[in-house]
This record gives sequence, structure tokens and C-alpha cells, in this order.
Amino acid sequence: MSSQANGDFRGIGRPRPGGGGGPRGAGGRDGGGKDGGKEGGKRFFFRRRKVCKFCADKIDYVDYKDIKLISQFVPERGKILPRRMFGTCAEHQRKLTEAINRARHIALLPYAAD
Amino acid sequence: MSERVYEILFIADPNLGEPEVETLAAQVQGFVEKEGGAIQKREMWGKKRLAYVVGRHREGYYVLIVTSGPGSLVKEVERRLKVTDGIVRFLTVRVDEELRKAERRKAKRTLADEKRKTRPGAQAPRDVEVQQ
Repeated sequence: MSSQANGDFRGIGRPRPGGGGGPRGAGGRDGGGKDGGKEGGKRFFFRRRKVCKFCADKIDYVDYKDIKLISQFVPERGKILPRRMFGTCAEHQRKLTEAINRARHIALLPYAAD
Repeated sequence: MSERVYEILFIADPNLGEPEVETLAAQVQGFVEKEGGAIQKREMWGKKRLAYVVGRHREGYYVLIVTSGPGSLVKEVERRLKVTDGIVRFLTVRVDEELRKAERRKAKRTLADEKRKTRPGAQAPRDVEVQQ
């Protein structure tokens, strides 16, 4: 009886993180669990552990003038996405946000694109 | 107090010609020097498309000036930038602290790397005590 219930629970729980990671491309352990449900898509695929790009590339100073780098973290709409999307660490997300806001002020990045 | 380093990035009116932007940049450099700043670098990025419309402009000349000087410089220079015609927008950022921090972190990392390489038995063979 208990094993049955357990099996059911896993059945429900599993597809969500899988579906969420799919459309983003990067995939992730605790990736887009929230918005993923609608997408459906592939359920069981290999998910890579996300690592912070800034840590991996050893970028200590996130420069607001380096649009090439920053724009990788800004979707077309121009929004700043939550950390879970790109897997940036807390420290670098903070620096990234600062850089994006500076770049926005000086019209290197849009506040909102249409 | 040590000197602070500031980056002043401003957008000049796109309707100006290249030489006029040049004089404008020189003018801004003049503001900075008058307040006791020393110019370290000047970059002309040329005409670039703005990400959004600023005061009816869709493009603008970007000019970056890196300077060191006292903190009192910023207030006066920004006030002057505000009243100068032909400057669409500007941004002043203090960078010395952040850059110093980054430098320190980099030094720390290379030091750690060195240590890891030179540590005795760093790549010790793992199959020492295999019993069968």
C-alpha cells in the first residue's frame, strides 16, 4: 500500500521540472518548475547542473559597458530574469542586475522592448 | 584618502558632426580637470543606436572618459553636464573600489592555483591499498 502511494507521488512530481527545463535550453535541477507545466514537452532527458557563467569564466567585475556579455542574460523583452533561469550565483546575479540597470540608464539596453 | 576613479560615459547629440563631438569631449575634460581630476583614458565609441528613444533621439555619440580625482568632482561635473547643450544623457560610476576588489580576488585565485599545483602529493596515485 505504502509503496503504491509512493509510486504515484513520484509520477506526479517528476514531469514538472523536466518540462520546465526544456524550453529554456539550459535545463536545471530546480529549473523552471513553475512555468514548465504548460509546456509539457520532453519529460525525461538529461539535465545538466547549471553553473554560474561568471564564476566559470572567472569574471570578477561585471562591466555595464560589456553589452555582449550582459545581453546574454537579458531576453528579448528586456527583462531581468530570476536566478533560476541562468543559474548565476547570488553574488554575480547582484552584480549583473547592477550592470543591467546602469546599461539601461545610458541606453545601451532597453527598459522594455516591444 | 586615496584618489577615486570615475568613469563618465555620456551620449552626445547625433546631429553634431564628428569634430563638434570632439570639442564637446574636450570641454567635458576641461570640467573634470578644473575640479582637480586627471584624465586617464578617453574613448570615442562613435555613433551608436540607442536602445530606446531619449529626448527624441534614436542614436547618439558615446564618449567615455575615465578620470581619477576627488569625490567633490562628481557633483560639479554632473551639474555642468546637465546644463551643457548637446549632451543627451550621462552616467558617472565610481570604479576604483570594484576594480580593486576584482583584482584582489584574481590574485587570490592565482595564489590558490599555485598552491594546489605545488602541494606535495597533489596527484597521488589512488590505487595504493588494493587488496584482493
